[in-house]
Amino acid sequence: MIARWILLSLLPVVAGISLTQSRRLSAIIGMGLFSLVLAAVYLLMHAPDVAITEATIGAALVTAIYVLAIRRTGRLTVVADEVPGLIAREGDRVAGLEYEILKGFAQQIGLDLSIQFVPLRRVRWLVAHHEADLGAGGMIHCGDAEGTLSSTPMHLATGLFAFSGTGMQQETEPAREAPDYEGYFSELLAHDKQGTLSAAVTSLDLARVLSLGRVGAALQDLARVDGEYGYAFLISRRRTTLQRDYAAYLTQLRASGRLDEMIERHFT
Amino acid sequence: MGGYRCIRATPGGTLVAAVIAFILFGIGVLALVLRRDLVIKLLALGLVNAATILFLVSIGDRPGAKAPIQLPGEVAILADPLPHALVLSAIVVNFAILALALVFVMILVERYHTTDSTRIEQEMDRETDEEETPCL
Amino acid sequence: MKRHRVRIIAATGIVLAFAILVSIMHLGNAPDPSDSTRYLSRALEETGASNRVAGVYLNYRLLDTLLEVLVFSVAVLGVRHYLQQSEGMELPDLSESEVVRTAVVFLSPLALLLCAFFAILGHISPGGGFAAGVIAASGLLYVAIAHGMGAIEAQLNPGRMARTEETILLALLIFALSPIAFGKLPLSDLLAKGTPGRLLSGGSILVYNILIALKVFVGAWAVIAVFAQHRGEL
Repeated sequence: MIARWILLSLLPVVAGISLTQSRRLSAIIGMGLFSLVLAAVYLLMHAPDVAITEATIGAALVTAIYVLAIRRTGRLTVVADEVPGLIAREGDRVAGLEYEILKGFAQQIGLDLSIQFVPLRRVRWLVAHHEADLGAGGMIHCGDAEGTLSSTPMHLATGLFAFSGTGMQQETEPAREAPDYEGYFSELLAHDKQGTLSAAVTSLDLARVLSLGRVGAALQDLARVDGEYGYAFLISRRRTTLQRDYAAYLTQLRASGRLDEMIERHFT
Repeated sequence: MGGYRCIRATPGGTLVAAVIAFILFGIGVLALVLRRDLVIKLLALGLVNAATILFLVSIGDRPGAKAPIQLPGEVAILADPLPHALVLSAIVVNFAILALALVFVMILVERYHTTDSTRIEQEMDRETDEEETPCL
Repeated sequence: MKRHRVRIIAATGIVLAFAILVSIMHLGNAPDPSDSTRYLSRALEETGASNRVAGVYLNYRLLDTLLEVLVFSVAVLGVRHYLQQSEGMELPDLSESEVVRTAVVFLSPLALLLCAFFAILGHISPGGGFAAGVIAASGLLYVAIAHGMGAIEAQLNPGRMARTEETILLALLIFALSPIAFGKLPLSDLLAKGTPGRLLSGGSILVYNILIALKVFVGAWAVIAVFAQHRGEL
């Protein structure tokens, strides 16, 4: 009898605490605990069948289903190709211009930022299939949207240049697809060793090579490729709310001058 | 066998459990109305379910009772099996219905990209406003 | 002002709920006391099951239980329908650390054992078909957590699970209607009652428990699998 009183009076306390949590996960686990105490109460009320059923369903299955359901809520998932200066790992942190922009954006809309580094060709697939919210770390053809993907407003304007001249490969195809991530990088290094660094045709490659400290590309016959290119984020066409929020955030950054300050800090 | 129609006012018996069930019901309804997060609203609905079931089970208990499982030849006061039977399938079906409700919440969140119910309502109002703009 | 109004509504709702419940107790049509005494005193002879609760919901009130199983199936159907992903996405990798994998080795057979225990001995000891099915689904979930959903999908093809679910529902229906062939009303007890307390007692309660356990297991697992596979945003 006393045990039953104690457990019964515990029930509203546990329920009240877990339903006033700010984090969803805490509330779910709190209600799982509530189910367990409730099952003990049923046992003390001489109802073993009900106790068993309540324990298995309330504590195990309902909690499992809720946790499975809220796996991705509350996070802004970004997949990025590692670009030094824009978004790259430095030791065990991430740093760069795009990282700072994303961090401020996530803070403003109240989500946690989660960044994953993947090869370049996977970025488009992941954003198009809604596995990630934004794609970062690359130069995008801004302007009209293609297919299911579109780009956010540009935060760093740049141009796409093609090298031409003796000893250099003629490339007019912008944003050439790399065959394989590791292989691509080692290919660059191999070219650099042999002294035939003609594979650097996009400014992205140039940035990578520069970051390795191996300067020494001779610019010859620099021709600007037509088109509106710039650094922006990839976003799916259907995420209109997210696009709107980000556009507002970027306009605010630009208006307050903080964007220019950040660009200066990272690129000078 | 009395004690079936009304709540027996035995201390520590059905009355205390019934009062706690009412309190839990109240907490559940308050949380359902006052919290804005959709997932918390669903949890509060589950709490209301649990409170109702607790009330039903507490009716069947009587002083000095044992669980309603007994071989012939033993004599004892047993708890009432009818509320247990009603409640058993109710718990399982509640789980299935809760899963379905969670599915609808998931679809809603995927559409509006927020779990905040006030924000979803604002977005829906904005959408209906945009629909009704006539082309003049 | 809005908060204030909301609080008033909430408080009124609570008081109303209290009042309704209490008045149902005192003024409404309570079931005939002779019914409840009959359930307690004669359940043993009439159903043959020493678990009175199983005797009530699988014999006296079998129709309610079967319809509850139907409601469960419809809810699972709804979940599967609304969360269908038409694109063949890669299944998410839920596999965990070595500790979890080792723990699962003895936890999931325990869950399966408990399921069999509750289903087969549901008329003698507490448990019943519903709890059994749910425990089995949780056991399978432990395996999924440890080894990833891909391992389970390889063995238990979702299409086959859906067909199994329908087959079990059909078997339940046929078994419930089968007493017609023996000249009795449908849903009545078909098998022998036997000595209470032994395994083969309680008539068709044993069969119903096993069928319901299978049905709930397949249904609950379908729900879990669909939730685990969903790669949406929530």
